[in-house]
Amino acid sequence: MNNEDRLIDQHVGELISGFVDGELTQQQRQLVSLHCEQCTQCGENLEDMQALRTRIGKANLSEMGEDKWRETMDEKGVQTSRSIGWLLFIAGMVAVAGVILITFLFNDEIGTGMKFILAAVYGGLLVLLYSVLRQRMIERKTDKYKDVEI
Amino acid sequence: MKKSDMKQQLIQLGNGAHALATQMLGNTDDAADAVHDAIVKVLKKPDAYNANNGPLKPWFMRVVRNRCIDLIRRRRPDGADVNELCESAPGPAGVLEIAQRDQALQLALSKLSSAQRQIIVLRDYLDLSYAEIAEIQEIAQGTVMSRLHRARLALKMELNRHE
Repeated sequence: MNNEDRLIDQHVGELISGFVDGELTQQQRQLVSLHCEQCTQCGENLEDMQALRTRIGKANLSEMGEDKWRETMDEKGVQTSRSIGWLLFIAGMVAVAGVILITFLFNDEIGTGMKFILAAVYGGLLVLLYSVLRQRMIERKTDKYKDVEI
Repeated sequence: MKKSDMKQQLIQLGNGAHALATQMLGNTDDAADAVHDAIVKVLKKPDAYNANNGPLKPWFMRVVRNRCIDLIRRRRPDGADVNELCESAPGPAGVLEIAQRDQALQLALSKLSSAQRQIIVLRDYLDLSYAEIAEIQEIAQGTVMSRLHRARLALKMELNRHE
């Protein structure tokens, strides 16, 4: 085996993949073509690599359909519209509560004592609600097991 | 790129990205989550993609691959090497889910290392160029051909063993 043949023999191995993928220079392509015509083993290797590439290209390595990814996009749209819905709902409820509060406070038909009692009841409920929400928020931030998957 | 065009392209890229993520994460459900997260992330900041730097496909595959690496690191947050961690291939259930007719191919793929599975999917399944693969895998372009060739030889050997 002369030096040129040895060089061809050393390099044609991975060049076969480059040849199949169309990633070689013109000179390299000629080298591989000539070598594979003469060398049965490399010729077979080239055919095998081409067949393998075609097989993988036609294979189905994911069972998901395009609809799955379309749903992912829709999901984001749904989330946005839901957020807008909640925002409008909460803003409306705050406005209604404000109107009721003002009407209640400036209603002369209700005595001061009754106003105080009702204010204490609803005020207490609001404080309790705030307390629970605050506790939940703290737990959510500090719970080290929150990401544990069961 | 218009967001609507990007959405359309991402829908088409979803399956390929899922195949890549499956090879990295070892199961189809985690892979679907990874692709979902990647899509949400991309659509949240569509300006992060610059069309002047190349097509969306390799860029998106890199986002998916990075997301998979994050998930793998979360599974084992002890600083172990990512390439060692993602050695797990899809198990029998995952193999069955993917496709009965390609079961032999999937089984043979599962015998390869994660890096070999990834490079085969990137080139032969997703049809990316060596330059794009080098960018996604953060390796030199000259390394792609030799790694790919070794991976194909290993796959051929495994297929011969199973068929």
